[in-house]
Amino acid sequence: MSQEIFLLPDVGEGLVEAEIVTWKVREGDVVTLNQPLVDIETAKATVELPSPYAGTVTKLHGDVGDVMHVHEPLITFDVGTASGDATPATSQHTAIVASDTEAPAGEGREAVLVGYGVANEDGLATRTHRRRGVTSTPLATISSASTPVSTPPTSLAPRSTPPVRLYAKQHGVDIESLTGSGRDGLITRDDVERALRADAPQDVSVTASVGSRGALNTSRFVGRDIESWATGPAEERIPVKGVLRSMSEAMVQSAFSAPHAVVWMRVDASATMELVAGLKTRPHTQGLRLSPLVIVALGLCDAARNFPGINSSFDAAAGEVIVRRSVNLGIAADTPRGLIVPNIKGADALNLIDMAKALNVLVEKARQGTTTPNEMIGTTLTITNVGPFGVDAAMPILPPGTGAILAIGKIAKAPWVHDDEIVVRHVVELALAFDHRQIDGALASRVLAHVGNFLNNPGVYLLAG
Amino acid sequence: MATTTMTMAKALNEGLRRALEEDKKVLLMGEDIGKLGGVFRITDGLQKDFGEDRVIDSPLAESAIVGTAVGLAIRGYRTVCEMQFDGFVYPAFDQIVSQVAKLHKRSDGAYVMGLVIRLPFQGGIGAIEHHSESPEAYFAHTAGLRVVACSTPNDAYWMIQQAIAHDDPIIFCEPKSRYWEKGEVDLDRPSHGLFETARRREGTDVTVIGYGASMKTILRAADTAASEGVSLEVIDARSLSPLDLDPMVTSIQKTGRFVTVQEAPHMASIGSELVAELTQRCFYSLRAPGVRVSGYHVPYPPTRLEEDYRPSVDRILDAVDRVMGFEG
Amino acid sequence: MTWGFVVKGESMIDEELVQLLTPEGQRVAHPDYESTLDGEAIFALYRDMVIVRRLCNESTSLQRQGQLALWAPIQGQEAAQIGAGRALQPMDFTFPTYREHGIAWCRGVPAQDVLRMFRAVSNGGWDPQKYRHSVPTVVLGNQALHAVGYAMGIQRDGAEEAVMTFFGDGASSQGDTLESFVWAASFNAPVVFFCQNNQWGISTPSSLQSKVPLYRRAQGFGFSGVRVDGNDVLAVYEVTKKALDNARVGGGPTLIEAYTYRMGAHTTSDDPTRYRIDAEVEVWKHRDPVERVKALLVHEYQAKGAAFDAVAHEAETMALQLREDVLAMGRPDPITMFDHAYASEHALIEEGRREMLELGISGGVH
Repeated sequence: MSQEIFLLPDVGEGLVEAEIVTWKVREGDVVTLNQPLVDIETAKATVELPSPYAGTVTKLHGDVGDVMHVHEPLITFDVGTASGDATPATSQHTAIVASDTEAPAGEGREAVLVGYGVANEDGLATRTHRRRGVTSTPLATISSASTPVSTPPTSLAPRSTPPVRLYAKQHGVDIESLTGSGRDGLITRDDVERALRADAPQDVSVTASVGSRGALNTSRFVGRDIESWATGPAEERIPVKGVLRSMSEAMVQSAFSAPHAVVWMRVDASATMELVAGLKTRPHTQGLRLSPLVIVALGLCDAARNFPGINSSFDAAAGEVIVRRSVNLGIAADTPRGLIVPNIKGADALNLIDMAKALNVLVEKARQGTTTPNEMIGTTLTITNVGPFGVDAAMPILPPGTGAILAIGKIAKAPWVHDDEIVVRHVVELALAFDHRQIDGALASRVLAHVGNFLNNPGVYLLAG
Repeated sequence: MATTTMTMAKALNEGLRRALEEDKKVLLMGEDIGKLGGVFRITDGLQKDFGEDRVIDSPLAESAIVGTAVGLAIRGYRTVCEMQFDGFVYPAFDQIVSQVAKLHKRSDGAYVMGLVIRLPFQGGIGAIEHHSESPEAYFAHTAGLRVVACSTPNDAYWMIQQAIAHDDPIIFCEPKSRYWEKGEVDLDRPSHGLFETARRREGTDVTVIGYGASMKTILRAADTAASEGVSLEVIDARSLSPLDLDPMVTSIQKTGRFVTVQEAPHMASIGSELVAELTQRCFYSLRAPGVRVSGYHVPYPPTRLEEDYRPSVDRILDAVDRVMGFEG
Repeated sequence: MTWGFVVKGESMIDEELVQLLTPEGQRVAHPDYESTLDGEAIFALYRDMVIVRRLCNESTSLQRQGQLALWAPIQGQEAAQIGAGRALQPMDFTFPTYREHGIAWCRGVPAQDVLRMFRAVSNGGWDPQKYRHSVPTVVLGNQALHAVGYAMGIQRDGAEEAVMTFFGDGASSQGDTLESFVWAASFNAPVVFFCQNNQWGISTPSSLQSKVPLYRRAQGFGFSGVRVDGNDVLAVYEVTKKALDNARVGGGPTLIEAYTYRMGAHTTSDDPTRYRIDAEVEVWKHRDPVERVKALLVHEYQAKGAAFDAVAHEAETMALQLREDVLAMGRPDPITMFDHAYASEHALIEEGRREMLELGISGGVH
């Protein structure tokens, strides 16, 4: 026993409905294939419909005079009982309907003058096909990738988008001078904005000079010696490449993705200075370069242990904040090639002597230019020491992907209220810049206060943990 | 390398001769192509040498020239149909778009529509009505057809042979105003494939793309531009369908600016297609939008006015100024 | 001549109508033509006509049941097509319209292949070179020029072959048809123009297409024209065979006007009751092409009912098989639309294919 429903077909008359004129069969009749079933009248003609099945008529879905809609049930058949076995045509038809979901004259079409009719597009409102293997790839990339160009042009026009070009033009930025930070060097709006900021007097992440002291006395531009005012050309163009390019790209990426905020404090670092001076006299520290930076590094790691949230990064793509319980401590290093930020892996686990040794190794390799790429990735917290340049403070920019950076100004004698008296103490200004997406001012302040306390009283922290 | 100097008309004649010699299935058919040698003498002397059965003077009915060429193609012949003038191809339009373009597909590949329809096109000869048209876009728009245009005697010599040997139907556009201009022809080997773009002049500031008769005008404009300090890179599209876009993309990635030149009105034209495709492919390199220099959107004017209608050096340079002015 | 009624169009029937078998099945003599077929051959023609009529009926049913987009019936024209189709030699080539199902049958094109276009799963349906029967021409008139061109190729090959092309009274007005007459005459092409004047171009009567009997047009172009009773398979066969034989030996073209009648609608989308009267159809019912041959077979060759029943059964079986074959024709893989659009590589074809694969519209199996 199987049931088949004959839907009123589109007979090509260009109409959506038809009136039943004469039934030529009754319910219960046994019919043969192509036996006339019914005369229907459309607005254009009267048409006789032959039976698509051999079987028994079990239901007529309308009466004479009824107006039936195309693709709606007209007659129901029982095709399993006519002679005990279905005709080959019937069984074949069943199979086809089951396998071919797009029968030519299915419900999905609207009758017109000629042909199966117009496909019903109601079902097309939702997206059913999405390009595979090419997600959000710009058209320009697809087409140029499809056929490799054998001879690349010698001088390429700077790649950017017309709106960015307009923006640059309106703000007087020469787009030819920019290096793109986007895909394949595309010059983005961020790059133009960065260039605009660069023109104005502003903060830059000045390095802690842990390398070439001589640099202090020469006029240098991020790793490049520049000729003197007297001897140099009137205007000089310096290609943005190498360390300069790395720095610029990193700073742009960070400055315009992470909202920076800064907390700062002045600290009496006299105890730290005394500790460092004392350590230098001990035999097992001979050959080690010891500086207050070692204590600052230990203090920042200690703060991270107490406030893990500071040792974090913001993963915008994943919509997550990553908190790491191990500090890779980056040290901004002013090297002959420019600013680099190598890090000490697992710095939070180091004691004073090991931290001093690690800093020594880091500085030496940076100075010699042997820092490996691996030593420059994975930084979680950073210290930049601008003190050696004689300045009091800095407002640093975070290396991309890190939660906080601590700037240390020069440690200098200054009048300070100590035990309710104004005395001369070693005072230093600390500034902690942080990614305000995941770190709030309270956390940052607690961290900075912890570092300040550490410098103020290092013996207690080092001994008591 | 055997090179010789000849006119484009002679180069086409020699190319056809060589094709007739190399393949006995090659036929020529058209109005007045036999004893007269065609109104432009492109087929001069060929009937005398190859006979009336292979160089067929036809009655005056373009649809029949193409329609019977279809039957001949089904029989295995490669017929080169001459349309006497561009404006006379329209009676054959039905056969070209309904049959020539579709029969390979409709026969599931059983029919090879290896026929060539030669079209002396574009204006510039001071003719009367219907003798100066640029109908190439109608055919480029039609799937199943290919459309090419030669601009030099060397290309004429080789492209006509390549077109005849090709298995797809090809609309072969000949710039009739350049028929009598001479150029070097390398008789040994072609410089390019039939469907390849050719760079005619290297430059750095603006890429100018054209085809057919416009090429000479563009090269003149490039000379003038150079004297004004603007360097034009000049590209001959040669194949109008399919377009060989990669060399154009390479050029525009360098210059960041481009101009297209054609005699046809620009509405839904080769230039329109070039601007669309090249903007899509070179979007990040563009310093200015692509600009089309074209005929105006009027029926081809009386030819006393045609030099004000066809792209001139002035109009090309004006377009160059416009794209150069975009970034100030 | 034994036409029973005078209705519209009768005035166009003149004494030059070649007829060898009356509607009643009686043989008649003609000064230029004589039937060369024996009883077996005539029975074979009868069988052909019964089968193509039955297959045509099945196709109409399939359309009424929503399984075909369209169908163009040939009822009434079976003798014209079978007589012409059986007069062809294997190496001859034919250029049809979309209503030449009887010719396709004679050329050996499988019946289901004829229906591929009407089921809208193909724009052709068969290998035209294999069956030497071109794909159906829908832009009427175009095919007449293809036939002449092909015939010119035969001339250049020095082959003894002929071409036949088909069109109706409607397409006789097309410029291409008339240009093909010019060409065929000028080049003496081995082509036979077989015009089935079925009296109606959809709703347009043949009297609007021509003010002279169509076959007489040939004279103006410089070749022979002949009008044959298109419902007389014996006459159609002899007239066509003579024209083809003449063409093969360099005798040039012939225009045959097979005077017949389209008993059914133009297509399943048509309603002929709007433009023609029942009386006219009734007249032509008496001229049925199948019945007169059956009568001849009965009274001249003593054919028995069992033989006719066997043919009917064979036709029935083929109709069921056709139904099964048609219903089995599923939707082609969309990517096949790119196949054979060009004979060689084409960037836009590759672009389309790639998009379809990347969007997952096609699995890429083809």
